[in-house]
Amino acid sequence: MVLLPEKEQEVTTVADDQPVMSFRDVVKVYPLPAGDVTALDRVTFRVDRGEFISIMGPSGSGKSTLLNLMGCLDTPTSGDIYISGTRTGDMSDSDLTNLRRDRIGFIFQYFNLFPLLNVIENVTFPMMLKSQKSVDPEKGREVLRAVSLEEPLFTHTPMELSGGQQQRVAIARALINDPDILLCDEPTGNLDSKTGAGIMNLMTELNRKGTTIIMVTHDQHIAEYSHRTIRIADGRIVE
Amino acid sequence: MIFWEIAKRNTRIHLLRSSLAMLGIVIGVVAIATMGILGNSMVLAVTDSLRTVGDSVIVTPHAGGGGMFRGGGGTSGGSATLKITDQEFQQIQRASAPNVAIPVLQTADRMKLGVGSDDIVASIYGISPEDVPDLLKLKEGAYSRANSGCLVGAKFADDNKVKVGSRISIGTDGDKGALRVSGIIEERGMAFDVSTDSAIVVTKDWFDNAYNRNDYDKVVVKVKNLDDLPTVTTAIEKQLNKRDKIVDVMDTRKTMETIFQTFGQITTFVSAIGGISMIVAGVSILNIMMMSVTERIKEIGIMRSIGAQRKEVMSMFIYEALILGIVGSVIGGLLSLLGGYAVSSMMLQTTKYLFVPSSLISIVYGVSFGIIVSLVCGMYPAWRAANLNPIDALRHE
Repeated sequence: MVLLPEKEQEVTTVADDQPVMSFRDVVKVYPLPAGDVTALDRVTFRVDRGEFISIMGPSGSGKSTLLNLMGCLDTPTSGDIYISGTRTGDMSDSDLTNLRRDRIGFIFQYFNLFPLLNVIENVTFPMMLKSQKSVDPEKGREVLRAVSLEEPLFTHTPMELSGGQQQRVAIARALINDPDILLCDEPTGNLDSKTGAGIMNLMTELNRKGTTIIMVTHDQHIAEYSHRTIRIADGRIVE
Repeated sequence: MIFWEIAKRNTRIHLLRSSLAMLGIVIGVVAIATMGILGNSMVLAVTDSLRTVGDSVIVTPHAGGGGMFRGGGGTSGGSATLKITDQEFQQIQRASAPNVAIPVLQTADRMKLGVGSDDIVASIYGISPEDVPDLLKLKEGAYSRANSGCLVGAKFADDNKVKVGSRISIGTDGDKGALRVSGIIEERGMAFDVSTDSAIVVTKDWFDNAYNRNDYDKVVVKVKNLDDLPTVTTAIEKQLNKRDKIVDVMDTRKTMETIFQTFGQITTFVSAIGGISMIVAGVSILNIMMMSVTERIKEIGIMRSIGAQRKEVMSMFIYEALILGIVGSVIGGLLSLLGGYAVSSMMLQTTKYLFVPSSLISIVYGVSFGIIVSLVCGMYPAWRAANLNPIDALRHE
């Protein structure tokens, strides 16, 4: 992989036929005072390495629940979730946190950068979590160059950047620890169409270089950038 | 360390809020440390005044009945007063042997310090010349064995410009006779036995003749081995107070211990009042930290989602509380020096007890307490932040 050469070495440790992520009969029920709500009902699918998948569905269909489970932010009521061959159901909160840090990159609709940190610090933040010490900012610069952010902006704070620039920083942050999967929640939802197209071109380029991407979107036009679309309705995969 | 850096920046970006939280800690530390310094300075001042009499047992006639009223024609008024008889003195001497028992006579009288000067009234002690060196140290001149000589207290000498060799006429129009000053006694401060700073000391014989006395006002037993103080006290009590309580026996060390204990309690009480202000400051920190957590719920959610452990999120808020606590406490500690200087100057008229370890330790206590209170009050908000559900935190607007 051109963008992040270290990732290629890590990828080789996972068997080619092993999915990066798989769901088997995953059920998620939210117990509410008015009665239990089944957000996901026996969901089964797999994501192979190098795929670019979009997940679509109407509001309340279970997209967010699915994204939370894929991102190891939540645990299923029943069923199994595997990330790079590791079953997440038996993992402690600390292990799930490490899995998120090392294997999953998050991209949010509202960028969610840390306002107190500058661009380089934002990007290298997950690296610092991993190494538990200060890190060489050069890798951060390298990833920022790869997402086409201009060098003079590297020391700016997020508030000094445009929406598109902030999303590029967020993508760089998501990529810094060479994750197996990039989880994107409406990555262009807060951008104008031109900037959004730029971001989608960048993500297509990242996928072409080997990054597995799962993207939740409402926008059919954006979903067309992906290779495969999972449609979800009433907590079930319909297509 | 990135969480330390974030904590620092967050404190800086909310400078006014942080400063107000620190101000509470500053006030708390100053209150505790200043009160501690004042209390300790008072103890040291009293210790300085009393340390010369910590090795004595003072025997005085019992004032609460049971004793005998004996005519004491010595004082100018000639009224009946409580005295210790020669026989009782001998009993005290036997009970306290081999320690030295010093009988002391005491009165007050008019005296003239030179031709044309005004009369003054001062205390006069009558002590046998052979006992004086055991009781009093001179800063100038020499002890006198002659009845015509006397010693004067340091303050008496200063106030009345008396020097070695000066003449003092005692009594109205000098009717008790004239004495020549042979020495000036070292300053002793407050004392349980004899307070000579503003008095003169004459020989016992001269006193007996001048005031027609054959009894004593008190007996001072100088105990060589301090561990014997309780034994000597008990022995005298047993010897003289067998049936009726004739004398009061005071162990000066015990009395000093009681005084210091009382000062200690007062210091603790006053410092505890200072501690209340620290608790209020702690609540302020708790409040500000809770506010900080609430403001940053989304940020916490992002951190958790991209791989920050609970303990790392917790550490960030604890660092923030520590910054407030350390900066506030250190500023408070420095201001406590000024506060201690000010209260010592005002209340004790001296600052010589400020820079001694036992006073400075109050600042260390105050600073430590400030930091601990900040840390403790930052724990709950930090714990709350660390235990936020990342999904709920991410949704927070």
